[in-house]
Amino acid sequence: MKMERRRFMGLVLGATSGAAVGLSAGHLLARTFATADSPYDPPGGVEALRLSVCSLCPGGCGVQVRCIGGRPVKVGGNPRHPVSGGRLCPKGLAALQSLYHPDRIPAPMRRKGDRGSLASFERRTWEEAFAEIGGSLRSIREKGKPESVVLLRGGALGLGARVGSRFLSAFGSPNEVRLDRGDEAAALATSLTQGVKAVPVYDLSATDYVLSLGSGLLEASGSPVATARAFGEFRQVRTGRRGKFVQVESRLSMTGAAADEWIAVNPGTEGVFALGIASVLVNEDLYDRDFLASHAVGFDSVHGTDGEPAMGLRALLGREFNLERVALETGVSVNVILRVARELHAARASLVVGPRRGPLLPGSLFDHLAAQALNALIGNIDKEGGVLVAEETPIPPWAPLAAKGRGADGRRRPRLDSVGKHPLPFACSDPEALAEAMLSRKPYPVEVLLLQDADPLVFTATPSRFGQALERIPLVVAISAFPSETALASDWILPEAHFLERWDLHTTPPGISFPLASVAKPVLEQPLVDARSAVDIFLELARRVGGEVASAFPAGDAPALIRHDLDGIFAAQRGAVMGTTFDEAWVRMMEGAGWWAPGYRTAEELWQGALDSGGWWDPFYDHGEWARVLKTPSGRFDLRPGLLKELAQAPGRPGSDDRKVVPDLPLLLFEPLSIAGGFGAELPFLPALLDPGHEERWETWAEIHPETAKIHGIKDKGWVRVRSTAGSVVVRCLVTWRVVPGAVAIPVGLGKRGGGRWARYMGANPFRLLGGERDSRSGLPDFQATRVRLEAAQGPEMGPGALAAWRGAGLSSRDLQNTQVFRS
Amino acid sequence: MARWGMVIDLDRCTACQACVVACQVENNIPPASADAAARGRALAWIRLVPFGKEGKEAGGEPPALRLIPVPCMHCEHPPCTKVCPVQATQVGDDGLVAQVYARCIGCRYCTTACPYTVRQFNWDRPVFPEPMERGLSPDVSVRPRGVVEKCSFCHHRLQLAKDQARLEGRPLQDGDYVPACVESCPPGAMAFGDLDDPRSTVSRLAQSHRAFRLLEELGTHPKVVYLSKGEWGGES
Amino acid sequence: MVNPDLGQEERLLRPIESPTRAFTIFISVLFVLSAWGFVAWMAQLRRGLAATGMNVPIYWGLYITNFVFFIGISHAGTLISAILRLAHAEWRRSITRAAEVITVLVLFFGMGSILLDLGRPDRVLNVILHGNFHSPLLWDVVSVSCYLTASTVYLFLPLIPDIAILRDRQGPHAAFYRLLALGWTGTARQQHLLEKTISMMAVLVIPVAVSVHTVVSWVFAMTVQPMWHSTIFGPYFVVGAIFSGIGAIIIGMALIRRAYHLEEYLKPIHFNNLGLLLLVMCLLWFYFTFAEFLTTYYGADPSHMTVFLSKTEGEFSHLFWTMFVACFLIPFVLLANNRTRWTVWGTVTASVSVEIGMWLERYLIVVPSLSRPRLPMEAAKYSPSWVEWSLFLAFASAFVLLYALFTRFFPIISIWEIREGRAHSAREVSARVESYLPAAEEPAQ
Ligand SMILES: Nc1nc2c(c(=O)[nH]1)N[C@H]1C(S)=C(S)[C@@H](COP(=O)(O)OP(=O)(O)OC[C@H]3O[C@@H](n4cnc5c(=O)[nH]c(N)nc54)[C@H](O)[C@@H]3O)O[C@H]1N2
Ligand SMILES: Nc1nc2c(c(=O)[nH]1)N[C@H]1C(S)=C(S)[C@@H](COP(=O)(O)OP(=O)(O)OC[C@H]3O[C@@H](n4cnc5c(=O)[nH]c(N)nc54)[C@H](O)[C@@H]3O)O[C@H]1N2
Ligand code: SF4
Ligand code: SF4
Ligand code: SF4
Ligand code: SF4
Ligand code: SF4
Ligand SMILES: [Mo]
Repeated sequence: MKMERRRFMGLVLGATSGAAVGLSAGHLLARTFATADSPYDPPGGVEALRLSVCSLCPGGCGVQVRCIGGRPVKVGGNPRHPVSGGRLCPKGLAALQSLYHPDRIPAPMRRKGDRGSLASFERRTWEEAFAEIGGSLRSIREKGKPESVVLLRGGALGLGARVGSRFLSAFGSPNEVRLDRGDEAAALATSLTQGVKAVPVYDLSATDYVLSLGSGLLEASGSPVATARAFGEFRQVRTGRRGKFVQVESRLSMTGAAADEWIAVNPGTEGVFALGIASVLVNEDLYDRDFLASHAVGFDSVHGTDGEPAMGLRALLGREFNLERVALETGVSVNVILRVARELHAARASLVVGPRRGPLLPGSLFDHLAAQALNALIGNIDKEGGVLVAEETPIPPWAPLAAKGRGADGRRRPRLDSVGKHPLPFACSDPEALAEAMLSRKPYPVEVLLLQDADPLVFTATPSRFGQALERIPLVVAISAFPSETALASDWILPEAHFLERWDLHTTPPGISFPLASVAKPVLEQPLVDARSAVDIFLELARRVGGEVASAFPAGDAPALIRHDLDGIFAAQRGAVMGTTFDEAWVRMMEGAGWWAPGYRTAEELWQGALDSGGWWDPFYDHGEWARVLKTPSGRFDLRPGLLKELAQAPGRPGSDDRKVVPDLPLLLFEPLSIAGGFGAELPFLPALLDPGHEERWETWAEIHPETAKIHGIKDKGWVRVRSTAGSVVVRCLVTWRVVPGAVAIPVGLGKRGGGRWARYMGANPFRLLGGERDSRSGLPDFQATRVRLEAAQGPEMGPGALAAWRGAGLSSRDLQNTQVFRS
Repeated sequence: MARWGMVIDLDRCTACQACVVACQVENNIPPASADAAARGRALAWIRLVPFGKEGKEAGGEPPALRLIPVPCMHCEHPPCTKVCPVQATQVGDDGLVAQVYARCIGCRYCTTACPYTVRQFNWDRPVFPEPMERGLSPDVSVRPRGVVEKCSFCHHRLQLAKDQARLEGRPLQDGDYVPACVESCPPGAMAFGDLDDPRSTVSRLAQSHRAFRLLEELGTHPKVVYLSKGEWGGES
Repeated sequence: MVNPDLGQEERLLRPIESPTRAFTIFISVLFVLSAWGFVAWMAQLRRGLAATGMNVPIYWGLYITNFVFFIGISHAGTLISAILRLAHAEWRRSITRAAEVITVLVLFFGMGSILLDLGRPDRVLNVILHGNFHSPLLWDVVSVSCYLTASTVYLFLPLIPDIAILRDRQGPHAAFYRLLALGWTGTARQQHLLEKTISMMAVLVIPVAVSVHTVVSWVFAMTVQPMWHSTIFGPYFVVGAIFSGIGAIIIGMALIRRAYHLEEYLKPIHFNNLGLLLLVMCLLWFYFTFAEFLTTYYGADPSHMTVFLSKTEGEFSHLFWTMFVACFLIPFVLLANNRTRWTVWGTVTASVSVEIGMWLERYLIVVPSLSRPRLPMEAAKYSPSWVEWSLFLAFASAFVLLYALFTRFFPIISIWEIREGRAHSAREVSARVESYLPAAEEPAQ
């Protein structure tokens, strides 16, 4: 009886408190939207959970979408997916804001007027788009100049990226240039030391001491959710002991805030710090002799056959990186360096994490090499809790392209950017050089520029050069979901379907050791706007061009291509569909005996299982497969003392000059998680997050130390103009101890002039400060070569207030682009 | 009767703010604008509160920054419910501090009385530009202008769990319901469950020597428990 | 039958029977200002509280400041007049009504400020439908309603004989006065009943008045917020209320005296006596403020100290020290000095200063505590919007407007009490004084 009463009371409460929640929802909604553009039409019908893969960053998280009557109402993590494990980062959680974004490109658009605003575009049909673009591609190819078609790719992932590359190769152009170079220096360092060009994988969850050399591990790692999950385990689960995390950096990042200790170093000296640690380990005999003896070269000096002496790492450390010098250069006391080195040795499993933002900073190849060397010294290569090399997903490559003919001839033409050329032996992708080549029309002019998911007017070191270059190209085609700044400056915008509207296949994201293939089936049968997936766009263009281009693909549409890949995985006879729980010892034993129990028996079962669970994976990593992880000519880990020495002496590398008195300050750029990787400002939940340690939201700021502020006469929260030789931006200045004296830290990700109503004109883009400076060996933009000055300023150049003022002055966005504020 | 509570392990929290967005999408919180944010009127039911220590404050320790996710504490002695003149906020019999949007007169007395400043006021009419309202959850009402709202511990999920348990003819127990923020937290820093169930994760964690509550000294008896940073080599 | 011929007191009816042009102009200006408030209110109804400058965490601003301030002013009339009546202070006769009207009218604006502050004014009836008696805001509703009722009765009772005079003079609106006079004929029985009821009401109204501002203070003190959660708040608010209330009476009297040439009725002695009371309140205010801040300072609880410092040396310091000068230094100097206190300008200057200071005090109680919550929060700044300022201005104008209209329809100085004074009090007072003294020496036996 009493229970009954309680239950009754519960119901009463439900009608009052939770109340509004259920019953009056319709009423309140109706009322709320009474004056909105359209009446709210609540979803009705069957509720279902559908699976997909988030494509808002390379992280590759499996998502689970709650649909009611076929309408997505919530994106969450797919609990069976090994990357997300049911969890998501803020960007993934906000994914519906990109699906339902009011400013998505509604249909193919052809520019008829000036560049720079959607108003000067007119709606066309896909047929018209394919006819015009396909027609000019075809005629260019027939004229024998396929190399004059360039594909510039940004964050595009998965099948769309593969199909785009394949299309360009088959078409006959060597000019596939990528904007997403975030992992290049790390991969380069692995390639130089281990002979494998792959992003190093840090086995974070199995270690108990992490020395992070300025990595943005917890903000913008290759796969942020997977890294965060590993961090959770690192804290207390796997090793049974709570791990310690030491962050070495010049600006206290969110990773640094989560760490146990922040070691503030002078800007750009993380690598030097690492080698200082290395020299302590060597001096105190705390390094892994066995690993060096059996698997490494370059530790001891040798005399080459030609009699040339080659300095070994031991000698290099002794000569160039003795404690006092390291302490002076990094600004860290000798005691701290000694303590960290000893802790690193004392830990059961310690790990050195390299700087992930390496490619964009001077000496950062150096930093990565230093991190690699330090990991090798403590015997961390391919060890549990160490540095691993991801195993590739066993997808057989598509059939090779014809070695002869128009396509092959075109592919043999020189690339337009500097890749593979003197003096940048390690360059991998060079959009800034591409911009110069497009401007100079040397060695040949560009006829068509295809932009796949790329916004070079925002995210290159020389955005204004790109702007000029675009005007010289007869046909610029942007495949983009949003009216990004670059899309608005193109001739055609082809709207790409949202990731919830398309088929896709994603392989292992950066930072994960085991092979996987995530399969995404469209959550929405029909795109909300007249958009198509990049795969469909490229396949259709290939058909229009015809011939070997049309036949370059193993199948004619996205699901068939994915099925083709999965059949390849089936043939590899390993792994299982996601969500299968494994007992590792048992599976190993069975595999040893030649058995394999994947939970599917036919390719069809794998296909169905992958669609139902999110994909396929093979969770076990085999440590110590030296033939796979050490592919250098010697078959050993190459410590690269010579290159380290050369890079250490490269011009522009930060030395120990007293920055407090030099007026020009090094620039430290960083990416807040919610807007990392170029995309995020578009979705209104995300610019409201930014760096939770500050109050700044929806705007770009610059951090300086109180001492720096005093010297430059800058007030906290005041506006400053940050000026470099290349340009200037106006941002709000935060005076904080979070950045070392004598440096300026600015977040990247805002300051776009496109991207829809929320991103547009919000904040400032610090890339405008970068010049054309290059890393001496990799050719990647050299961020730290940029020095800036600070001046007090009047107010923001972007932001709602400024925009309203400009509008008030009767300026169009095109005028805005031409005004000095933007050019500067 | 379960005593629902949350544990947030600050040792694991990476300040990623996934919880913030998870809550916003789960509970139909309208997106802010730059303008609203600049006026201090953006809505969030959970936010990260920074505690920076440096120089004198750090007392010789190296400078450090800690970020603490703060939802409604669902206090056992909530200062907010007492002051509401119209009983629009009250402790429900499931122990959650509930909010009756349809009754609230918007006096904002509760917002000023809450020592954690977690209560939010709808300054403006919520706007979801077409077609964004298609993404709204049908389980949670959109609050009209002029009323106060706050973290509900995802009360609608509790209602669903109750229904489910009733359907299965068993009492509600630990693990039956998990709020959206807890579900999404990437490093697994959040846990949720019955603080009175000795076998539950939350009650075990709440016993930890690292456990503390925010502004405990005010006697509000929060049901959100925090775990402070641990020591290297220490136990969890 | 009351004699409609008033002799000397005739001039007290002049504002009613022959209003001037200046009066009409004055009323019109006030009307326009009040109407502007209506425009502002419309804007607020359309845009909601987004039309104000409030934000998170400064959830309360000008409206709540005005609520406390207006309710504070209301302590002028009824309370002071009741105390003076009970104390048989004979000089009260020409000022009580002017004071009591302030109370009744200003209470509406106090309550009105709360209405303005509601996010959902359309739901205000929920206070009755779903009232929560744990809420100090509800205590406020109850105690202010009581006070308003009691004050209205207390204003009305002594008005009856004067209304009867107006009825008997057969001027315009006689029907209106007949209705209100309740058949007053001035018989001894009526006279006796009236006087008895007035004294009863005077006793009754004092605890109600004290409760009102105590309860207002409890709106703040019952929370645990820094520098609100203070036991001293009850008496501190009451003292502040009386302080600002007396100031308001002095200003009101000076205006009436000037406008209606009542120098004969409102003499420097009245200003001096009220000035003395104001001086006492000034010292009490200082004492409370000092006690409050010293305790906070010595307790040095960090959350309290951030609020404390924001007032004494932080972003609110200019307002704080202005308040200190306005509430203490200026009135103290003017009122402690016999020469200035005996002048109208001296007491009026002191009073204006007190009003400004007390308004600032209310503002500095509401806003700084909210802007420094215990958990660090975005340090949002509060600057009231045009809507809030307009409504403040309109409320002030509308109050003066209603007050002026009152003087247009009712004698602002109690005619019958003055006449009664002339008739009896000299005798009564000397008898009373005699009774204080030891009896004249009797010859030894
Ligand atoms: N100088 C310099 N340049 C850099 C970097 C740097 O640090 N310094 N960083 C580089 C790195 S690491 C990266 S990853 C890039 C990032 O820069 P970009 O490659 O330019 O990528 P985003 O800005 O992320 O995305 C481009 C546009 O794609 C649109 N978009 C979003 N989703 C979709 C979709 O599903 N389909 C299509 N077709 N379009 C979509 C968005 O509107 C967005 O504006 O910038 C690179 N460029
Ligand atoms: N959520 C999310 N995550 C992402 C992406 C995304 O879009 N969203 N994008 C992904 C992509 S495409 C990329 S390229 C990566 C980029 O991710 P990262 O390469 O990790 O880049 P950042 O986040 O900028 O982190 C760089 C760190 O280096 C520090 N730093 C600054 N200057 C120096 C210096 O001189 N030396 C050293 N050693 N460190 C310095 C900065 O303070 C910062 O902590 O992120 C990936 N992760
Ligand atoms: S980490 Fe990347 S892939 Fe994963 S949810 Fe976030 S944005 Fe999407
Ligand atoms: S989601 Fe988890 S890790 Fe991220 S901020 Fe919230 S509590 Fe911390
Ligand atoms: S945290 Fe604040 S809103 Fe939540 S129950 Fe406690 S006092 Fe009330
Ligand atoms: S704002 Fe609403 S819930 Fe809060 S005290 Fe006022 S009526 Fe109650
Ligand atoms: S418990 Fe639910 S309502 Fe509360 S913060 Fe978490 S997601 Fe939001
Ligand atoms: Mo990238």
